[in-house]
Amino acid sequence: MKTCISCGMPMTKPSDYPLADESKDYCIYCARPDGSMQSYPEKLEGTTEFLIRTQGLDKEAAHQIAIRTLSKLPAWKGKENNIE
Amino acid sequence: MKTTNRQLQKKQTKEALLRTAYEVFSERGIMNTRMSDIAQAAGVSHGTVFAHFQTQEMLITKVVETYGGKIALRTHELAGSCEHMKEILSAHLAGIMEFEPFYTRLVIENRLLAPAARDVWVSVQSSISFHFSQVAGREIQSGRSINLPTHLLFNIWVGLVHYYLANGDLFAPEGNVIKRYGETLVENYMKLIQTDHRTRGRQG
Ligand SMILES: [Zn+2]
Repeated sequence: MKTCISCGMPMTKPSDYPLADESKDYCIYCARPDGSMQSYPEKLEGTTEFLIRTQGLDKEAAHQIAIRTLSKLPAWKGKENNIE
Repeated sequence: MKTTNRQLQKKQTKEALLRTAYEVFSERGIMNTRMSDIAQAAGVSHGTVFAHFQTQEMLITKVVETYGGKIALRTHELAGSCEHMKEILSAHLAGIMEFEPFYTRLVIENRLLAPAARDVWVSVQSSISFHFSQVAGREIQSGRSINLPTHLLFNIWVGLVHYYLANGDLFAPEGNVIKRYGETLVENYMKLIQTDHRTRGRQG
């Protein structure tokens, strides 16, 4: 089983992949409509928005959690430097 | 391949220590447990524990990352195929039940943990809020659920579940909160958020 390099989601079925392309290492939620992978700023904004929308977190708290959480994923290693 | 064997053994010792720590934390609490308690429970010296985890905080974080990750993955597996709200609530509880003593410790103590461990707690919540929000969106759209912001629907649900877990000694002294109250919580939460009572009656 692959996990998305950008958000960590397990990818278990074709519909988890962008355009059902199982050769990709990132999931459908980390892809743009054309199937390419979202940039770091796009993913950071999306993750922050997700935490606010689904769990009601404070904007700044969600932003900091998103930075720290993404920094642990293969696609974004080393991206947390700006918060140290 | 001496090195490989040694590395493998080191990895196995580390995993065994994590497992022991998980069990001791589940039973006695996270902040309540000392490194020496884990060494004793695992039948190794303090030095062995320190060789793998330099500080108590590093050990706690690693246990929370490892088992929080398992809880999140299991939740994702169980909730991923749910069509309706009632199914997703039951799936959420089924996932918690498999890890109930440890999950309960996280409910009580996560606020006291280091940021890395606290972030794992948020990830565990994300593993259910992700599927919950999709289902809630559909149910609101189709008029089956009352129209509240998704995060409030979610927080009302987890607030209820976590309250029962945090006070499990009062609600279920035998130690099985979800087994004893899970169905009741699902049923009554559904009554709170459902709009079409007649349809629900016919469906049983
Ligand atoms: Zn992804």
